[in-house]
Amino acid sequence: MTPITRLSRRRFLLRAGLTAAGGALAPALLAACRQPGKGSGDGKRLAISNWPLYIDTGSPGEPGTVERFERQTGFDVAYSEDQNDAAAFFAKLRPDLAAGRPVQEDIVVTPYWMAQRLIGLGWVEQLPLAEIANAANLIPVLRKPAWDPQGTHSLPWQSGITGIAYNIEATGGELRTIDDLFSPRLKGRVGFLTEMRDTIGLMMLAEGKDITRPTYADAEGAFRRLEAARADGQIRAFTGNDYQDDLLAGNFAACVAWSGDVAQLARDEPKLRFMVPASGGVRWADVMVVPRGSRHREAAAAWMNFVYDPENAARIAAAVQYISPVQGVQAVLARTPGSEELATNPLMFPDPGLDQRLQSFGALSAQEEARFDERFARLTQA
Amino acid sequence: MNASPVSPRPEARRSRTALGWPLLAPGLGWLLLLFVLPLAGLLPLSLSLPVDRFGLAVRFAWHGANYTTVLRDHGEVLLRSCGYALAATLLALALAFPLAWLIRFRGGRWKPLLLGLVVLPFFTSYLVRTIAWSTLLADRGPVLAVLHRLPGLGELRLLNTGWAVIGGLAYNALPFLVLPLVVSLERIEPALLEAAADLHAGPLERLRRVVLPLALPGVISGGLLSLIPAIGDLVNARFLGGPNDRMIGNVVESLMLVQMQLPRAAALALLLMLLLAAPSLLLLQRHGRDGALLP
Repeated sequence: MTPITRLSRRRFLLRAGLTAAGGALAPALLAACRQPGKGSGDGKRLAISNWPLYIDTGSPGEPGTVERFERQTGFDVAYSEDQNDAAAFFAKLRPDLAAGRPVQEDIVVTPYWMAQRLIGLGWVEQLPLAEIANAANLIPVLRKPAWDPQGTHSLPWQSGITGIAYNIEATGGELRTIDDLFSPRLKGRVGFLTEMRDTIGLMMLAEGKDITRPTYADAEGAFRRLEAARADGQIRAFTGNDYQDDLLAGNFAACVAWSGDVAQLARDEPKLRFMVPASGGVRWADVMVVPRGSRHREAAAAWMNFVYDPENAARIAAAVQYISPVQGVQAVLARTPGSEELATNPLMFPDPGLDQRLQSFGALSAQEEARFDERFARLTQA
Repeated sequence: MNASPVSPRPEARRSRTALGWPLLAPGLGWLLLLFVLPLAGLLPLSLSLPVDRFGLAVRFAWHGANYTTVLRDHGEVLLRSCGYALAATLLALALAFPLAWLIRFRGGRWKPLLLGLVVLPFFTSYLVRTIAWSTLLADRGPVLAVLHRLPGLGELRLLNTGWAVIGGLAYNALPFLVLPLVVSLERIEPALLEAAADLHAGPLERLRRVVLPLALPGVISGGLLSLIPAIGDLVNARFLGGPNDRMIGNVVESLMLVQMQLPRAAALALLLMLLLAAPSLLLLQRHGRDGALLP
């Protein structure tokens, strides 16, 4: 077996910058000029929209997952890393989906809570599970998850942990708690995510609140603390996936971050660390959904089947270093030359000690979600 | 607006009117279709209520509270946007005026090249240029590397501050000021400056009493060209500002796309428009008639 390749830093930076720009402005600019249904005529096409740094990209002579899928199945994949912020991406798709028009994307990788929203709105297709035999390889708890109780409209892409990333040189020492983010030494050099459940969830855990059954009242303290920190300049910026640029450029000394990203960035910046605070980290999942009206469900099923093959899943896992939803990945990594140490990486395969510190942000009623979203939007964007 | 001080003969005026409407038609049609009609749609939208959270449908309800809500929630940002845009325009003017003067009076045969150089960076996308500034102004970026060598400045920060937003807006406004200024300075006869010198006016006196008054049309039109887009800008605040430096464009974007409060976004957009229209119309009223805005 050939060694599993990793993404080169240079390519990443280029794409991350462009993605940040695209993610920030695409909704506003593209909402007006989308061409519904474009590219949905040819059955051999498959358009996938994913987040940056979320798949193995291959190298010369060593094709990445997208290319190997194309070679094996003959489908023509348009793979774009155009997501930076789930709410902004939802805003981009909303006009077409709300009006019942098909969108360009055949598969969208989106957070579990967004999948729940899309399923509730009826904006995603039921998946042809009969054609996705490899879904049997999924970790059992992900087969019928809370956000898709029948397990019929979404399938997991990766899951991961929201914790804190920091540059140990800039912080001058290890960080251990959420309080460290509010230390005067880091004033103006701390970042938080524009993903409400990650930022508020982490803050609620620090206050000892139960995020598996979140209430607006329980989040009050978290909101207040962030609002005060924003007003006095402790928080430098709220970012989407583009926090990576700020971390590497030295603008952030510490920030709320996603586990796999930091593992990837640390290959080029060894001073970067990732930690899950003693008070707990947020465990989340990103899932694949097929937007309503997609004409490439067959191709989408073939893709899902492909990525649930443990060998393929192991390549993706080795590149992104998140928690793979596929059973058997750990065994594949353990016997692949050069990837053995990944098989024992606690952030990819959480040990019981870490596992019990992780919580998932529970479902919100429509009214509660609206209150959370409005206050959070005012905190981060206005 | 284009009236000439000398009245044309009646028959000439008639033929001009006959030709006028067909010439105006494309522009008027464009404005009607792409500006007036959408604007007319914005007014009822701003008085509506959303029907559900994620749909696009709204219900018209004479809901004037949208206006008070956005003023209460975002009045501060509205003021900040005006302040930033004004500061950026003044900064751009301070940079553009000497540059335009240099190009006009000292440019010589290099004038076309110099004008070309002013415009050259703008062949790159607005977005790319602004993101490039975020790299230049970063904590470990080249600008701070130079500034930190200066004595007595201490620890500085530029990126994610209001200063960076103002600087970015000024940078992006620069050619819109330089070009009208060069044109209006172009109309100043060097002989006038020589005459002023003959009357014992020093360089500052000549600038104050001859150059500035004659360049005023360029200052006003360039100023408007800078101020109006700057107030509604969302790119500079998004990439160069911090969470306390947001501008009204960011709020409208958030209301529309993230908070999904289309009616409130419409109310805020209309308020911004009113805010801009009042002083602009006043300026046009005062200076538009004598062609002062057309350098």
